[in-house]
Amino acid sequence: MSSVPSVVESSERFVIRRLLIANRGEIALRIIRACRELGIESVAVYSEADARAPHVAAADRAVAIGPAPAADSYLSVPRVIDAASTSGADAVHPGYGFLAENPTLADACEAAGLIFVGPPARVIAGMGSKIGARALMESAGVPVVPGETPDDQSDTGLRRAIDRVKRPALLKASAGGGGKGMRLVREASEIDDAIQAARREATAAFGDGSLYVERRLDRPRHVEVQIFGDHHGRIVHLFERECSVQRRHQKVIEESPSPALTPALRARMTAAAVTAAKAAGYRNAGTIEFLLEGRGDNARFYFLEMNTRLQVEHAVTEAVLGIDMVRAQLLVASGAPLPWAEGSLTQRGHAIEARVYAEDPARGFLPQAGRLLLYREPQLPGVRVDAGIVEGGDVPVHYDPLLAKVIALAETRELAVARLVQALRAYPILGIRTNIPFLLRILEHPRFRTGDVDTSFLDDEYATLVPAEPDETPEYVRTAIALHATNTASASGQPPPRSSGDPWSHLSGWRS
Amino acid sequence: MDAPTATRIGDGVYRVHHEGGSRIVYVAGAPGDWWAFADGIVCRDDFGAARQRGRRGARAAGPETLSAPMPGTVIKVLVQPGAAVKKGDTIVLLEAMKMELPLRAPADATVVAVHCREGELVQPDTTLVELA
Repeated sequence: MSSVPSVVESSERFVIRRLLIANRGEIALRIIRACRELGIESVAVYSEADARAPHVAAADRAVAIGPAPAADSYLSVPRVIDAASTSGADAVHPGYGFLAENPTLADACEAAGLIFVGPPARVIAGMGSKIGARALMESAGVPVVPGETPDDQSDTGLRRAIDRVKRPALLKASAGGGGKGMRLVREASEIDDAIQAARREATAAFGDGSLYVERRLDRPRHVEVQIFGDHHGRIVHLFERECSVQRRHQKVIEESPSPALTPALRARMTAAAVTAAKAAGYRNAGTIEFLLEGRGDNARFYFLEMNTRLQVEHAVTEAVLGIDMVRAQLLVASGAPLPWAEGSLTQRGHAIEARVYAEDPARGFLPQAGRLLLYREPQLPGVRVDAGIVEGGDVPVHYDPLLAKVIALAETRELAVARLVQALRAYPILGIRTNIPFLLRILEHPRFRTGDVDTSFLDDEYATLVPAEPDETPEYVRTAIALHATNTASASGQPPPRSSGDPWSHLSGWRS
Repeated sequence: MDAPTATRIGDGVYRVHHEGGSRIVYVAGAPGDWWAFADGIVCRDDFGAARQRGRRGARAAGPETLSAPMPGTVIKVLVQPGAAVKKGDTIVLLEAMKMELPLRAPADATVVAVHCREGELVQPDTTLVELA
C-alpha cells in the first residue's frame, strides 16, 4: 500500500486545490475519489443528459456544460475552460477519451493558467501523429512494426509502400487509432479500394486522411507498458498489461502480469518503453503499446503507438502493484517528484479486469440504452468495481457504452480468473442488456484459461463465445419471477406501468 | 421431483432451492416484461407461457403446463381437452391488475387437461392447462 500523506503534508505538497474533471461516468468518479482522499475539491461537469448522473452528486461542485451530444458538451474546449473559470478550478483532469488526447485542451489550459493533468500539449500532438511517433521511436532505437510512412500520400505512393512492406499489410490512419481508418490488404486486388476507404474513414473521423503502412503481424499479442514521468526528468515504468482480448480494436479483458512474458523479455520491453517515453519528453501517465510476436525470451516486440493519457485499464496496474496512479498524476502535475523509488515496485499476484459494456452480444453487440431496473455491485474480497451507474439511473444513448470495470486480484492467474468469474456471476444488471454473459464465456474458454490468447482470439472463437440464441428461462428463475410478481402485485396499490416494450426486438435476423 | 421453492431475501432478491442446491435470483421489471439475473445468466420473460425453448434439445417429451405468473382471474378459456393448438395461440385469457394477460401455447401441442374455469381466481404456479 502506498502511504497516504497527512493533511499537513498534503497542503504543503499540493498546489492543486480545486480540480475540474472534464469527463463523466466511472472515470469521473474514480478521479473524484482520489481528490477526496487528498483533500482536493472536485468539480464535475455534466451535459443535460447527465444531470442526475452519480458523478455529479459525488463532486463538491458541479457545472452544467451543455446539451447531451458530446460535441456540444464534453468535447467542447471552450465550455470546459469556461466551467473551470466559473468554478474557480485551478486544474483540469481530462480522464480518458473525450478531450484527453486533444492538444487544444492542453493548450487552452495553459493559456488560462490552469494546470493540465497530463503531458505537455506538444507531446500529445507529437504522439497523436502516428507517423511522427513511429519516426521518433525509430530514431530512438525502439523497434517499430515493420512498415513505411510514405511522404508520397498519393494512391501511387501508398501502393508502392504496400508493395515494399509486402502483404498482408495494414493501411492505418496517422491521425487516429481504435481501428478507424484502418484497412487490411491481403490480395493485390484489394489495394485500390482499401486506400480509398481508409482515407475516407480517416478524414471523416480525424479530419486527416494521411495513411501509413504496416506489415500485418502473425497473431500478435497486444502487450503495453505503463510509464510515468515527472517534471524533474525522471521516467519509470510500472510494468506491463496484456490486452489481447479485443473485439474490433476495443479492449474487453486486460491483465497483469502478461502470461506471455518471461523475465528477460519483460526487462527488454520495459527498458524499451522507458527509452520511448524519454524520447518523447514525456510527463505524467502514459502507455507504450507493443505488438508481440512469438513466445519466450526471444519473442519479438514492436512499438505500435503511445497513449498520452490515463487509460481505462490503469486499475489493473494499480491492483498488481498496490499503488494509486491518479494520486500520482495529481502529485506530478503539482510539480512533486514521482512517489515511487526506482526498483521499489514489483508485480505481486495477478490482476484481471473485465470491461462491462452496455451492449447486447446476441444482437451484434448493439449498444443499449435505458433505465437500470436493478443494479447491485458484487462485494467480494479482492474484487474492485469502478462503475458510473446506479440502480434507477438511465444509461443515455449519447456516450461510450462502457458501464463499469471489474478487477479481480488474487495470488495466481488461475485464482484471479476464478475470482473474476464469481464477481461477474454476482453482478446483476437488469433493464438493459450487457456483455456480462459474453465476458463469462471468454473467461471460461479453455484458451483463455491457459493464457493462450492473441489479438485474433475473439474473432477465431466468435461462434463459441457469442451464443446464437438467448438463454432459455430455467425453471428456478421462473419460480423467482412468479414470487416477485406476486409480491409486487400485492405490495403496490396501483396498476403497474405498461411495459414499454423492447425497440430492439423489432430487428429480426440481425447479425454483425 | 420437488418443484423449486423461492424465498425473498431482499428487495428483488430471491433464494431458490431446487434439487441439489440453491441459487440467488434477482428480479425486476413489470408484468409482461420481467428481467431476471442468476449466476451471470440474464433472462427476459413475459408473463404467461412456461417457456421451454429447449435450445440444446435435451428436454424429455412430456406434458407441459401453463400456470398464472401472478394472482388473477380467468376471463376466458379458449380450448377444450383434445384440442390441437399452434405455437402462440392464446389458450387462457387472464385478467390481473386491470390488464388482460394472454397465456399462449409455447409450441404446437394438444390440450391434455384444463384445470380452471372462467371467473375463477387463480394463484401463481397452479397448473391451469396441461399440454402434450
